[in-house]
Amino acid sequence: MSAKPVFLVVDDSRLHHQMYMLVFAKGALAGSTLLHAKNGREGYALFTTHPEIEMVFLDLNMPEMNGLEFLERRRSENLHPHIPVVLVTTEDSAEDEARGRAAGAWEYLRKPFTPAQLTELVERARARGVRT
Amino acid sequence: MKQELKPSARDSLLTFADDVAHQGVAVRAEAAEPERHLVIFSLDREEFGIPIARAREIVRVPEITRVPQAPPHIRGVMNLRGRILPVVEIRTRFGLERAELTSRSRVVVVEAHGRMVGILVDVVSQVVKIGESAIVPPPDEVVSQRADYVSNVARVGPRLIILIELDKALLLENVSTPAPLIS
Amino acid sequence: MNDDAGNPFAELLEEYVAECAPLAQAVGDTLVTLERRWEEGDPADQLFGTLKGSLHTLKGNSAMLGLTAIQALAHCMEDVCAFLGERPDLRPAASGLLLRGAGVLVEMVGRAARGPLSADRSEHFISEAREFIQAESVGTETSAPYPERRRFERRTGSEVGELGSDGVVSTIRVDARRLDGLLETFGETMIAGLGLREAVRDLAIRHRGAGFTDLEHALTSLEKTLKRLEGALMATRLVSIATVFGRFNLLVREVANAHEKRVGLVTSGGETQLDKTVIDRLGEPLVHLVTNAIIHGLESPAERERSGKPSEATVTLSAVQRSDRVILTVTDDGRGLDPERILHKARQLGAVAADATPSREEVFAMAFLPGLSTTERVSALAGRGVGLDVVANSIRTLGGSIEVASEPGKGTKFTMSLPLTLAVLRSLLVAVDGERYALPLGDVAESLRVTNEAIHEIDGHGMMLWRGQVIPVSDAAEVLGGSARASRNYCVVVRSGARRRGMLVDGLLGHQDVVVKALDPSLGRPPTISGATILGDGRVACILDTARFAELRATEASTATLS
Repeated sequence: MSAKPVFLVVDDSRLHHQMYMLVFAKGALAGSTLLHAKNGREGYALFTTHPEIEMVFLDLNMPEMNGLEFLERRRSENLHPHIPVVLVTTEDSAEDEARGRAAGAWEYLRKPFTPAQLTELVERARARGVRT
Repeated sequence: MKQELKPSARDSLLTFADDVAHQGVAVRAEAAEPERHLVIFSLDREEFGIPIARAREIVRVPEITRVPQAPPHIRGVMNLRGRILPVVEIRTRFGLERAELTSRSRVVVVEAHGRMVGILVDVVSQVVKIGESAIVPPPDEVVSQRADYVSNVARVGPRLIILIELDKALLLENVSTPAPLIS
Repeated sequence: MNDDAGNPFAELLEEYVAECAPLAQAVGDTLVTLERRWEEGDPADQLFGTLKGSLHTLKGNSAMLGLTAIQALAHCMEDVCAFLGERPDLRPAASGLLLRGAGVLVEMVGRAARGPLSADRSEHFISEAREFIQAESVGTETSAPYPERRRFERRTGSEVGELGSDGVVSTIRVDARRLDGLLETFGETMIAGLGLREAVRDLAIRHRGAGFTDLEHALTSLEKTLKRLEGALMATRLVSIATVFGRFNLLVREVANAHEKRVGLVTSGGETQLDKTVIDRLGEPLVHLVTNAIIHGLESPAERERSGKPSEATVTLSAVQRSDRVILTVTDDGRGLDPERILHKARQLGAVAADATPSREEVFAMAFLPGLSTTERVSALAGRGVGLDVVANSIRTLGGSIEVASEPGKGTKFTMSLPLTLAVLRSLLVAVDGERYALPLGDVAESLRVTNEAIHEIDGHGMMLWRGQVIPVSDAAEVLGGSARASRNYCVVVRSGARRRGMLVDGLLGHQDVVVKALDPSLGRPPTISGATILGDGRVACILDTARFAELRATEASTATLS
């Protein structure tokens, strides 16, 4: 608990990475470490080597392994099942969200989201001890 | 010719302080009356005043490089701490002849229209505070020749100080502004 | 939903534009290609997938920044694509609609950081798109006028943004003004270095024999380091010309369509780099040249076929670097320039004597004279009255030169030579009547000693023989608005394109790299001065506009014979 919390962002948009950086620089989440990956394949590599990750923010629509494929691979390898993965979606992908949950996503976050929504997710996960 | 080092701001202030000390005591107005704070310079024997708030610096005259085919009344440009400053020959603007530079010549750096410009003057006499009561409309003989850039005059004892409209005197309103290549 | 004032990510607006403007541009480019492929009957599914992915990213990004109008536009275009997914037969018909949407997208994204966006154009497009879908849906099973969102598809397009392999962002966005500030500071360092060099030189002269070698070594080492620093600093300001070329796909298509021409655009040398100061100002003159070429230079497809040319014309933009300059060309394979008409017009304007017989190159050079327009038709786009003289002026203001070559019936080629940067200039210092001036070294063909005998007065103009050519010669002081002197010892041969002209000066003071400073606007626009700089001794020197000098009285015939 003394170590800084670590979060993983997997998104092919550099702008989104900058947004996450902004959110994690202020307020309740300040002082966290952010890991960045630009597609599912790179994200999965980081996920494998960093078991201390507290939460993953996973974009759905990426080249070279999209969000769903990431989740499916994790499920088939049963890798770090305790780390909550939040699937980041757009407002009209109800079907994708259902499939995501079925593949093991803990929650989904719809764009456009606010820093408050993101923070709320982290706090909710911490409160429920999702991460053992 | 002696190599002139670029004057630092501190140097220019000290120079100016020397000049003022040699000119005598600054005139003080009656207390409780609104005052204007002016820089007085002279051309030939006439005295002119501009608000001190407009005068950024007063420096000794460095090398002035001529700019071929520049507008009239521009003597050239000078190096002001790495900035290339246009220098206006206010004498010719006021209908006088160009003068030889003396050890008392100065460049008064003013701000006009967001830009910095230098004014070449014969002597900077002093900085004064003049009460509003001393400021009156200009008499006819002053107006006739110089209507456009004279705003008022100030009577201080026997002296008549001509207060000038700086922007009009510098004729900068009419200049078009091409976009600079490098800001 | 989120209004701009309250958007928590508002400070990332510039980043949004940096990421999404090229993306929107790419959407336009992809659609231009897709249109062509669809016309040929190729469904181009992979490219279509890339397009949809880009639109999806644009939608998400715009939503996050609260740019709801752009979000709605991207969403609508996505829906049109979804509709076309099920109706490949409609793709060729829909491409025009999508391209219009792309145009609006590019424009709105480009303006996003400048203040609240008006949704007029996007809303107009959205209703147009809805009408299209409704019209085409009649008779199919789809009951809803607006298709349900389909599942997202796997994207195979290229990635957006650069992330380093360790997951950390490896580039930094820097405000261009900070780089300008850095350059100014560097300039002062350079001037201080020059001052130091002069002081050491004076000392060494005064104290001959006293050991100054250590000091001189240190100074040389400092100068070398400064040179490397200059190189590194200038490199940070370099931008690929591809950013300028990239805008032309859509433009060429729009202009070609508006004038019922068929045009293909070819670009090469996009990786060529130029300083930001030059790149920013290149767009406009290039747009004018390309627009003019398409509107006036190219024949209609029917005319082309009659003359045995392919019905689709080609416009080529190319860039290549040659030492400290970049050579840009705009070429078309249209009808070319008619030298007779140019000469006729020039005579009408009084720019050429009635009996003069200028060479073909000289006639083509006249195309840049003000008032010369070789067509009577004025179209909506070209009708804004932009002639070649305006283009030439823009290029000259950048310190560049422009020429045109043409073969009637075959095509036209504009060639521009531009400096790599406007900030630092390699110059030749000369002395004229006690004043020093800097000339861009790239414009100097040669500098040499001359004697009076070498200059021939012919018809009131000075001439001399140089490398087998007869070139006009002028006294520098006279050009600068002063008076000529009987004899000056040196001549600097200045070049601008194919033109050569000799400038008589008193002395040659060596080469120097100078930091260019713009002239204060209160100095007006002296015709022969392009800027100023501060030399090593702290004094200001003016920079001569050699291109202007070389082009003085350019139509002057140089065919005089020497006795």
